[in-house]
Amino acid sequence: MDNQQTKKNPAPSSAVITKRGVKMDFEGKIPFRQRLIMRLTSSSFWIDRVWYLIRFILMLGISYVILSPFLQKIMTSLWSTSDFSNSQVTLIPTKVSFEIYVKQAKYWHYLKILRNTLLLSTLTAVMQTFVTCMIGYGLAKFRFKGNKLVLVLVIITMAIPHRTLSLSLFQHFLQFDLFSIQATNMPGLFKLITGKAIRLTNTFWPFAILSATGLAFKNGLYIFMMRQFFQGVPDELEESAYVDGSGTFRTFFTIILPLSLPMMITIFLFAFSWQWTDSFYTTLFFSSSSGSIGLMPDLIGTIPRTLETTNGAIKTAYYEAVRNAGGVMIIMPLVFVFLFCQRYLVQGIERSGIVG
Amino acid sequence: MTNTQKAKFKLPKLSRASLSERKARKGWLFVLPFVLGFVLVYLPIIIDSICFSFMKPEIQTNAQGSYTVVVNHGLEYYRKMFSSNSDYVQKLLGGISQLLWEVPTIVIFSLFIAVILNQKMLGRAVFRAIFFVPVILSTGLMEKLTVQALSGAGEDAVDDGSGVNAKNDLVSAVDIEMLFSRLQLGTAGAGVFEGVAGTVRSVYSIVNYSGVQMLIFLAGLQSISPSIYEAARIDGASAWETFWKITFPMISPMILVNGIYTIIDSFTRNNNSVMTYIDGVYSDKNQSLATAEYWVYFLIIFAIVGIFGGIVSAYVFYQRRE
Repeated sequence: MDNQQTKKNPAPSSAVITKRGVKMDFEGKIPFRQRLIMRLTSSSFWIDRVWYLIRFILMLGISYVILSPFLQKIMTSLWSTSDFSNSQVTLIPTKVSFEIYVKQAKYWHYLKILRNTLLLSTLTAVMQTFVTCMIGYGLAKFRFKGNKLVLVLVIITMAIPHRTLSLSLFQHFLQFDLFSIQATNMPGLFKLITGKAIRLTNTFWPFAILSATGLAFKNGLYIFMMRQFFQGVPDELEESAYVDGSGTFRTFFTIILPLSLPMMITIFLFAFSWQWTDSFYTTLFFSSSSGSIGLMPDLIGTIPRTLETTNGAIKTAYYEAVRNAGGVMIIMPLVFVFLFCQRYLVQGIERSGIVG
Repeated sequence: MTNTQKAKFKLPKLSRASLSERKARKGWLFVLPFVLGFVLVYLPIIIDSICFSFMKPEIQTNAQGSYTVVVNHGLEYYRKMFSSNSDYVQKLLGGISQLLWEVPTIVIFSLFIAVILNQKMLGRAVFRAIFFVPVILSTGLMEKLTVQALSGAGEDAVDDGSGVNAKNDLVSAVDIEMLFSRLQLGTAGAGVFEGVAGTVRSVYSIVNYSGVQMLIFLAGLQSISPSIYEAARIDGASAWETFWKITFPMISPMILVNGIYTIIDSFTRNNNSVMTYIDGVYSDKNQSLATAEYWVYFLIIFAIVGIFGGIVSAYVFYQRRE
């Protein structure tokens, strides 16, 4: 359309001013048709397209691998009671029923569980993110004596299978004390001063203590990630801050922390979602005999009394559906957090200016 | 580096430490929470756990009733674990050889996927979101659901194509068997069928165990400056050359992280054969023996991590290094 209009105007042959801007017309320009043929017959064009297609199909396939168990679990949890005895129903329910969800939520006081878990996960995740960031920075940027040793200790905490320590972890927080070795009856610092150890199980304290010292679940990984991240940050950045008279801690808070925000968000998400779904530490520190405060993993622990069935034929499938519903209820809030943080997750790193 | 800095800042004769040394010491303040926590809280826990593996719980009775005391048992558990009538060593060797295959597969696969996810594609954001789902679930929530439903049968349970198991499996073994019986391969088909079914099943577990690694690689890939790629393209480097000469060296610090993480993660995952075996011992009222077995297992993991880290860190390229 524009072409027809501009053709009438007596403009210079090399540049044509159109409504949308300046259109350059080079002499000896290859016509569109010829360009198209050249493009379609070049090998690199087709290799690129085929590679794109392969990539796309591969991604689709792997996405299916990841999502299919979810789909199956969500579907079975929506079955209505009659679907369980109907052998023709294998995946999609004949009538969608939220009965299991409603009963689960009522029995477990879902809102209370949600609040408790949210509190615990946020608390530990924030602490862990900050503390591991600090430790990682210290390990990456300061060549003090014993740097390597501390790094080895970090890897040790990461490598010890946490079940190895389960028994003594429990005992140490049942009678919490600083530097007490119970096997040899060596008293700790609290016992020496006040005469007795403190009982910390069934509170948030074990989680807070482990998080504040970078010893909680998988914190070794976070520290290690942070260290590798800071190793790539050029020293000039801090040096210029030092030259301007900024102290070590001020530099850390005003320059390093904002810089490492994308990495911190990644670690926050890890810490948050792993605390959310963790049942090892929560069952260890909240013994259910003395009344669990109610956390997310409870939902798949036992079958609620209100959902028990006497029909033997459908029992297995029904209980599985109940558990699946519990699993979905655990994951759903996480998915929202995840979708919210997702765009910061990886994209942010390129903006941080750490590129050399 | 410290030496050169020392030479640069030649301060007039001071008994105090040099500037760089004083700066280096401030590093202790940053790692202080960890060091304090490790020494005051964690170390006693570790020591207790180790002590526990040398002790034997015994029930004693007195006027107040019966109670449990621990008595020294020496190296008895360690002897027992390596004795001929324990299949610990056998399980250990089997588990390690399987994991030595699994670890490189996971690292290479996650790097491959991260590279693909880093390229422009339709629906890339959606794929990224989907690929991070396994990260959320790496505490084994899914497995817990499945394992409980199967009443204790592990993930590696043989799928006979009947009941609940087949429904949880991505591709039912029976389906593949039918496919191959139609192909009329005869006896040779049985072997192929086993192989295909095994591969399909391990694709599922590998995809699910490489979520964290994928994320770490992706973060690493994003931090590579696009100008380096531009320069390489102008110099006429092909995509293949660009990968090996630029992407690979730049991503190598993350390969170190991921290698170490994958080794530790696969070795300490609750459902691997060694951990399952030791768990069985643990719940069999043999806590001390299980703890001893855990510690031997840990030493092996630590040795493997050490060997891997030692070899790989010699080749890792840090852009910062002057």
